Amino acid sequence: MPMHKHAKPNFRNLFIKPFWMTLKTALRTFPIIGKRFSNGYHNKKAVMLDAGSMNRVKGSKMNKVGKQEYAADRESSTLVPSIWRPVTIMYPYERLEDMEPWLFVPGNYNGRIGVIWETCTACKLCVKICPNDCLHMTTELRVDVLDSAEGENSGYGGELEVGGYAAVEIEGIADEHSERDPITAHDAPVDEFRFAEVIDLSGSSATVRWNDSGVEEVMEQSDLLVADDQIVSGRIDMGRCMFCGLCMDACNFTSFFMTNEYDGMSGFSRQELWFDASRTRVLVNEHQEAVDAELAHRAKREKEKREKAAARAAKKAEA
Amino acid sequence: MGDWLRINDWVHEGSLFLANEMMGLTPWPGQAEYLGFFIEKMVLCTLIFGGIMNTMFVILWMERKILGRLMDRRGAITAMRSLWVGENGVTAGAWWDKVPYGLGRPIGALNGFLNRVAGNRDPKHPTVDRVNNRSWHGVWFLFPGFFQNLADGMKFMTKEHMVPSKADKWIYEIAPFLIISSTVVILGFIPFSENFYAINPKLSVLFMMAIFGIAPLGVFFAGWSSNNKYTLLGGIRSAAQLTAYEIPMLIAVLSACILSGTFNLVELVDNQHYAGSWNLFLMPLGAAIFLIAMVAEVERIPFDMPEAEAELVEGWWTEYGGMRWGLMFSAEYMRTYAACFLFTHFFLGGWHAPFQGVIGSIPILGTGYLLIPGITWTLLKAWAVFVIFAWLRAALPRIRTDQILEFGWRYLLPLSIVQLVIVVFMRLYLFDAENLRFGDRGGFAWDGGIGLFLAVPVIVTFIFSVLFVLYSLDEEPGDMVERPFQAQTLEPAGTHKAGE
Repeated sequence: MPMHKHAKPNFRNLFIKPFWMTLKTALRTFPIIGKRFSNGYHNKKAVMLDAGSMNRVKGSKMNKVGKQEYAADRESSTLVPSIWRPVTIMYPYERLEDMEPWLFVPGNYNGRIGVIWETCTACKLCVKICPNDCLHMTTELRVDVLDSAEGENSGYGGELEVGGYAAVEIEGIADEHSERDPITAHDAPVDEFRFAEVIDLSGSSATVRWNDSGVEEVMEQSDLLVADDQIVSGRIDMGRCMFCGLCMDACNFTSFFMTNEYDGMSGFSRQELWFDASRTRVLVNEHQEAVDAELAHRAKREKEKREKAAARAAKKAEA
Repeated sequence: MGDWLRINDWVHEGSLFLANEMMGLTPWPGQAEYLGFFIEKMVLCTLIFGGIMNTMFVILWMERKILGRLMDRRGAITAMRSLWVGENGVTAGAWWDKVPYGLGRPIGALNGFLNRVAGNRDPKHPTVDRVNNRSWHGVWFLFPGFFQNLADGMKFMTKEHMVPSKADKWIYEIAPFLIISSTVVILGFIPFSENFYAINPKLSVLFMMAIFGIAPLGVFFAGWSSNNKYTLLGGIRSAAQLTAYEIPMLIAVLSACILSGTFNLVELVDNQHYAGSWNLFLMPLGAAIFLIAMVAEVERIPFDMPEAEAELVEGWWTEYGGMRWGLMFSAEYMRTYAACFLFTHFFLGGWHAPFQGVIGSIPILGTGYLLIPGITWTLLKAWAVFVIFAWLRAALPRIRTDQILEFGWRYLLPLSIVQLVIVVFMRLYLFDAENLRFGDRGGFAWDGGIGLFLAVPVIVTFIFSVLFVLYSLDEEPGDMVERPFQAQTLEPAGTHKAGE
């Protein structure tokens, strides 16, 4: 089991790190020195998760949340500002691992399920092994990572075909996704692709019908990515999940994970605990190494397959 | 030479004078020196114990304050709270105003003023304010909370003394006295400065270490006689742990004694100064071993398995209550404080000022520097060592019994023997007795035998620092996880519409 780098029981992590962290905490309590170690969480206005939360708290007479500062000031008096008082961590606006980073969630903690759907092959091992029967598989329209791969792994994906699907990446989406901080972002990332049905292929151009608008358009084939409607998608009933992690162990393709995330698994009804693919998704750029490894593995297999087929064809031609 | 604060000499002369005067009134004036000796030792013991007990309040206070900051758990200070702000904004000033004939009015007015100026009012956070306003946080020069320990002591005094019905009564009653008396005896051997100590036998280090080893016996008695499985477990753990750490500690002390060439504590401290280097810089490894072993000996976190309150209620003192419990608890702190003093004396040059030779030779400033009485440095150093104790407590978790024993037997013991061997060779070949200087400035005996000024401490400290840094480096800093760390799902709870 791979461990978080702070979880290794060596001299540094067992001895040096705790000393440094407690020292830093102690220094933070003296604002003059401590501001150099500040985590920037204090004295900020509350930012509500969404309009719904804002509405819920706005009307309260006892608790004027909208007017108060969260991460309340720790100074206890104006005369002796160096004496601070303890302040409760205002979860979810503050998070414990930001305030007190030594209380990190250990790397082997089984948190919310996260799946890199791009590398899932729909083998259904996870579905079969789940003792609580909380995983379900469906299909959805998506771009296969192998199809759009670049560099040495390119050229091993599928190709455009009539009746199949094509996709175009929305402009600027890569920047947006790379800027997104998965730790503090509370909303889903926007869609990456526009999908279209391929109506006709002629020469280097293709006629496509956009799924979102229904408009037909003639595009260059080189501008289009191959999309597939048979790519698997999953629904997970988190209400039934007992976080045993068997699904993660069963996954042969490094795409199924128990993340370290401990929140975002609540809702106002049981139905809200049905997580569809977008809520369990781990973005490719958040876990690029796993995707790259999987990609190389598949490209290698595809390459071997093609070489074998070519050899067989050559043999046949000889005969 | 040295300290102008020659308490021992003054007390000696004073008591001899007093004894002579008193015995002169009796038919046996020749016996005056015996009475003088008696008075002298009484006064000195009172001074030493009083000094140590009173300065121990600082330790208790420091522990709370330092831990509060290290763990970011600073809470309301409650001890002096009744003097300042009361609940719901009702100040204690109002109470003082009700003292008959207006005797409390000045205090009431002062309270009112302090409340207005420095009270814990915060209009920006009304809710937080209501919670936090239980007390006023105080300013440092008033030492708020300093007297909490006195209040605790008063409370313990008034508590009933209970003995479990199936306890071994005699042993149960004797054990606390064994622990406390042996602890107090250690304090009598601790010198505050060159000329301020209660007693100073020739082999004081040996004697002190022997006394230090008595308390574990009392601990085991207490654990056994309480007739309770938790106390028994605690007692056994304590016995196992103390045995494992006693030996490396003694060997580390022996190394210090070899370096300084004496078993007398006062001489040991002075010899460090005469030779020009504190033992810490000559045997950092031994100092670390001594510190670790001492933490284990006084059963503080991370070596507090014997009283692990999460599993053994309160360990070997579970069944004790009232003042016996209070005394045993204070005995823990006395032992801790004694450990701080011992570390100071063995490794930090006791009552000698840091860089006494260098700073002392600056024309005017140096003279003033040398005028600072030695007791100041002793106390400051002991408190500084206690900061390390508190820091250890904040930083490290309690470790398992088998890990404690393994660490003690398999690492500390061999390391201490290695240190002993190194020290013997250093004393034999690198020590130059001709360069000892018996004065305020100190000498330069650690010149490696070839006249390099203080080369040995510098080189040894450098080598051990490098080893420490090398050992604490991460072996594979770039080694990252295969699983996503802090990966997060994309929609927060509550924003998802089922079925979409």
